[in-house]
Amino acid sequence: MTWATPTLAALVAAIAIPALIILYFLKLRRIPREVSSTLLWKKAIQDLQANAPFQRLRKNLLLFLQLIILSLIILALAQPRSASTTEMGRKYIVMIDRSASMAAVDGQETLGKDSRLEAAKKQAIELIETMREPSMFSQGERADEAMIIVFDANAQILAPLTANQATLIAAINSIEQTDAPSSIAQAYRLAQAQRPNRIVNATNELGEITESHELDELKGGEPYFFHLFSDGRISDIDSVRAEEIDSTTTFEYHALGSQTSNNIGLVALRSERDYDTPSKLSIFVGVQSTDTIPRTVDAELLVAGVTRSVRAIDLPAATTDATTGYKTPASGGVVFELDEPEGVIIRVRLDTNGRENPQADVLLTDNEGVLIVPPAKQASVALVSTGNLFVASALKGFPLSRFDVLTPSKYEAGRTNGDNDVYDLVILDGYLPKTDELGSVLDPGRYLVIGQTLTGELGVIDHGTGPGGPIIDWRRTHPILRDLTLDALLMAETPKVEIPKGSGVVSLAETASGPAILETSSGDVRAILVPFAITKTNWPFDVSFVVFLASTVDYLATGSVVAIDEDERQITPGSVLSDRLPPDATAVRIILPDGSRSEEIIPSADGRIVYGPVQTAGIYRLRWRGTAAPTDITDEGTNFRIFAANLLNPAESNVSTQRTIALANKIVTADSLTERKRIKDWWPYFLGAALAILMFEWYIYNKKMFL
Amino acid sequence: MLRSENPTRPTTIEELLSSDLIAKISQLDVSSKKIFAGKLQGERRSKKRGESVEFADHRPYTAGDDLRHIDWNIYARLDRFFMKLFMEEEDLSLHIVIDASASSDCGEPNKFYYMQQVAMAMGYIGLVNLNRVEVTAVGLRDELVIPGGEKSIAGNIRDLRGRRRTHDLARFLCTIEPEGGTDFAQACKRIAMTRRGKGVMIVLSDFLMKEGYETGLRMLVGRGYDVFAIQTLSPQEVNPDIAGDLQLRDIEDGDMAEVTISAPLLKKYKENVSAYCQGFRDFCARREITALTIQTDTPIDTLLLDYLRKRGVLR
Repeated sequence: MTWATPTLAALVAAIAIPALIILYFLKLRRIPREVSSTLLWKKAIQDLQANAPFQRLRKNLLLFLQLIILSLIILALAQPRSASTTEMGRKYIVMIDRSASMAAVDGQETLGKDSRLEAAKKQAIELIETMREPSMFSQGERADEAMIIVFDANAQILAPLTANQATLIAAINSIEQTDAPSSIAQAYRLAQAQRPNRIVNATNELGEITESHELDELKGGEPYFFHLFSDGRISDIDSVRAEEIDSTTTFEYHALGSQTSNNIGLVALRSERDYDTPSKLSIFVGVQSTDTIPRTVDAELLVAGVTRSVRAIDLPAATTDATTGYKTPASGGVVFELDEPEGVIIRVRLDTNGRENPQADVLLTDNEGVLIVPPAKQASVALVSTGNLFVASALKGFPLSRFDVLTPSKYEAGRTNGDNDVYDLVILDGYLPKTDELGSVLDPGRYLVIGQTLTGELGVIDHGTGPGGPIIDWRRTHPILRDLTLDALLMAETPKVEIPKGSGVVSLAETASGPAILETSSGDVRAILVPFAITKTNWPFDVSFVVFLASTVDYLATGSVVAIDEDERQITPGSVLSDRLPPDATAVRIILPDGSRSEEIIPSADGRIVYGPVQTAGIYRLRWRGTAAPTDITDEGTNFRIFAANLLNPAESNVSTQRTIALANKIVTADSLTERKRIKDWWPYFLGAALAILMFEWYIYNKKMFL
Repeated sequence: MLRSENPTRPTTIEELLSSDLIAKISQLDVSSKKIFAGKLQGERRSKKRGESVEFADHRPYTAGDDLRHIDWNIYARLDRFFMKLFMEEEDLSLHIVIDASASSDCGEPNKFYYMQQVAMAMGYIGLVNLNRVEVTAVGLRDELVIPGGEKSIAGNIRDLRGRRRTHDLARFLCTIEPEGGTDFAQACKRIAMTRRGKGVMIVLSDFLMKEGYETGLRMLVGRGYDVFAIQTLSPQEVNPDIAGDLQLRDIEDGDMAEVTISAPLLKKYKENVSAYCQGFRDFCARREITALTIQTDTPIDTLLLDYLRKRGVLR
């Protein structure tokens, strides 16, 4: 037990205790009376005392009681506290993970009772309650302070550094679960931003400071004691540094959940329309299981809310690393085939029996995914060419709804009369349109520019041509180049182009001289630039040329390849929903998955809106009044655009708790909160005891009066 | 029990001895269980063969006897000398000891006044019966009251005899002031040493003495005196009428007793009073002292005509 204000109590004791005793001497003023003899009275008193064994004690009992009361009050003044070891108030940073995996219901010993987040909140509140409170008389001087930071993919300070426990507990209680993945770096930066940078002084031989500079990484000032409440599934945990203060590390990790918990969750969801018959839709479902026994789960496919198909997925057993105890999840999948020409919202739901039996699946939020599939569409393509056989003949074989070969003059005419608006994609083969009166070469639309170097605002800087050679590197992940290899491509001469600094042009493939295939986009214009002449390469004779054209048409014109990471209508919780609306859009709101509406969003001048970060998985409907884009749903002047937020994160779905986490400079093992010393204030008990004894004294006093 | 606020201080004989009382007690005489010898031949028949007119016996003459008491008639008849023995009539000493300490000046009616009245009445009875009356006031004084006396004696009047000395007795009683403490043992020692003859000794006191009354009374017993101890208590001493938180101060030695009057305390006190009185009477009985406890609200004539007669003090 320690004392918060011992000097004050000592001072009060030094004054009050003698005062009480003096007062006791002056206790009762008895009325003096002269009597013939006190002989018999004394004898009577003595007899009475002799008869009552505690009479002598009782004579002073009131004094004793008063002394006890006074002592208790003085002890209360000293503010005794149990189990407090530090003298100085500490600054605690309580970081609570609210990412998707924290929704797993293995927070408690009994599965299914509390989620990890609920358990984390309870433990964090316990931690807050163990904080040294500000003492009554030296306000805030030696009190512990804490800051509450909650994080998923983003971080937020819920309560700044304060000693007010009520504020902190209220902040903790206000934490809500999200479906976002977790990232601690931002939370750590937020906390550390409060501390001053450490200044390092360089000195010369004489010990004089010659130079001093701040180090961003190392922080000075009072140490912060971090308390991380998480399940340890944090990808960027190595961005956190722990310090050693008085041989105690400043980073404590409170692991939530169980290492052996099982979870089955969706980790991949993708739709693809058949190339030849676009109405044929394939839905690829990837499922991950951390159960150590093989499982079979049902995947249910709902189209527009109606169950269309149920397929069983066989999941093998997850393997457990014998040394670390961590599980390596097993994965499985299923493909649904549908005939669905229209744009639909597809929902995939896993029936893992988790609601009835948390043992089988502790995390339910990753059992559902939503996919927004645009309508099956065959592109309408115009080839503006001065006569290139290769391109035209390749395009003729594609399943296009319309394919026109235009002469440059016809194309220019269509620009003015609007005939060109019917084309989803315009392929400019060896031709660049004229600059219009606004100074732009390309009208709003999608373009493939071949054999010409587009310069200007959207384009590149032309440096002529360089020597011939192969493509030495290309973006193998880009939708256009993903399915092909450019190894065989050889050029007689390579274009020498340079991407202007600060432009939106991205190089997709490069030769030794510079970019060979580029992508540019700005506003309503999106284009793939192939600055070299096809005819001066061996490309037309390679299969990759046809695949390139087909991918480009798909990519630019139809967008039928829909995968989560490629389509902007698919977002992950924790990220920002951003889109561009027509400039006249008003009353922009987002209808959240739970049906509530967001605040009105004011679009920027170019129609861009930003909302978020979105917290939960589900369907987000962007709603506005004004003109609508062709793919938007319009209902009596109100337009909708639908976004799907899916967790689909293998790391979050792997719910087995990590007992150790590797920081940048240290490996921290989970600490159990039960060992924590609780700082408990005892003074209310002392005051209560004083009151009780006061009542007792009153009773005794009355009893004595009627003796 | 408490000090009397306005104690009666008698100044005249009338206040000490009312005429009604005189009428009632004039037929009384001081009695003794023994027939006492006295210095003067009084009206009392003594068991001692003396020289009164009343014949008692004869005894053979021995050399040295007074020739005047030879019974010559017997000599004529028997030719032998016989002495005529007569009943001797003797006077009786009535010694009244009155407690004149401050503790007597308490109670309602005042204890000292009561004792004065009793002493006066008894003294009167003694005087009218031609007994030798002596009154000694006992009380510790700062200075000697009687030259060559003792500080524990507060006053003394002796050798009163006859009705005409009544006023002297009354005057003496009126002059005694109850004050100071007592040294009862010392006073009794002095009384025992100085008293003469034989007779009746009446001790009037409350006998509430911290040092104890035993030593003193023991000294008074014997030497031919028949001792009567009349313990005079005020009604308040027997049955206190005080209440509250009190600081009781002993009027004689200033000793303090802090009491909170409560039912158990009063009960205990009363038990103590009766036990004390009983102890006193037991002590007296063992030493052939006739003891009597009287409360000051008892009428004087009841005391004299009833209690004292019953106990053989008066007849």
